[in-house]
Amino acid sequence: MMELFKMRVALRSDVMTTVRLATGGVCSLAALSYDDGEDCKVCVTESLLLLLRGGYACADVTFTEGDALSVLVEGEGGAAKNAPCEEDEIALALINALAENVEMRRQDGALRTIAFTFGKQA
Amino acid sequence: MNDEELFRKYRETGDVAIRNAIVEKYLYIASVIAKKFVGRGVEYDDLYQVASLALIKGVDRFDESKGSKFSTFITPTITGEIKNYFRDRSRLVHLPRKVSELRVGIKREAERYLAETGKNATAKELADRLGVSEEDVIRCSEAGGVVSLDGAADREGENVSLYDVIPAEENVFEDVENRDAVRAALASLSETERKLVMYRFGKELSQMETAKRMGVSQMNVSRMERKILQKLKENLKKTMVE
Repeated sequence: MMELFKMRVALRSDVMTTVRLATGGVCSLAALSYDDGEDCKVCVTESLLLLLRGGYACADVTFTEGDALSVLVEGEGGAAKNAPCEEDEIALALINALAENVEMRRQDGALRTIAFTFGKQA
Repeated sequence: MNDEELFRKYRETGDVAIRNAIVEKYLYIASVIAKKFVGRGVEYDDLYQVASLALIKGVDRFDESKGSKFSTFITPTITGEIKNYFRDRSRLVHLPRKVSELRVGIKREAERYLAETGKNATAKELADRLGVSEEDVIRCSEAGGVVSLDGAADREGENVSLYDVIPAEENVFEDVENRDAVRAALASLSETERKLVMYRFGKELSQMETAKRMGVSQMNVSRMERKILQKLKENLKKTMVE
């Protein structure tokens, strides 16, 4: 397993396009299929939006390359809240539907990290 | 009336008005998810339509007695349908961009010529106007729009698709080797996994139909399928190396 790319992003909706572009670039580097790359972009932005709604100020997104591309999105700073809304439920269900090995970790009841993987092309 | 009551009442009565009320209440989820898939070459309206149909089907399939929320159930269902739509759509054969552009030019010039002279233009006249060869004009005029490989291969509309009649490159020895490798790879699967392979790739059933026969959800089938294919791929690779 090798860390391929890491970025710290301010959790603001206006940076999401940049995050999507960067994620697309990483997926391409990791030789993911077009569809997986697009799905990965959705999962990364949904994770960030979950943390944004959870009250975090910024987040670290780490891409690790191995048999699959692993993504870890972790909230940092700010005051985390624990009041999930329906949008959060949809986002979580969407990530679960698109990615593999989805794992979530909570801290003091609030969602702190979201990890998932995407398989590579043979 | 809360959701559980609505679903229970719909289940008891089959009243379409109740179903429509549920669909309307959750239509925003179809919209939210459709938006997530914009930018992959399909218009939002088309995605929204696919998502809405999945929502309607989902209302019929949802079992409120299992205790899960409808929004949690319907999100993967809609996502799965949209992904299937993308997968099916990728089987369409598109014309090269140059040919598509020339087709548009030919149509425009032909109309202009007709308006100017009152006559239909010949291929040579169109070729002169467009600065291309006569052969290009004829070739592009003959090229259709988008062709589906699932479309009928014969004019009588018998059950033969273009996909069925496209000849495969034949190599008998390789075929035998491949069959052996596949057989060996299949032997490594569990009985349930082999059953799924038989339904999906032997009988060519949809994921939904396979799910029904196996008594699991469509998402389950989708996940299992991905894992099985990965497993088969790895086993095949090993067999080929050996």
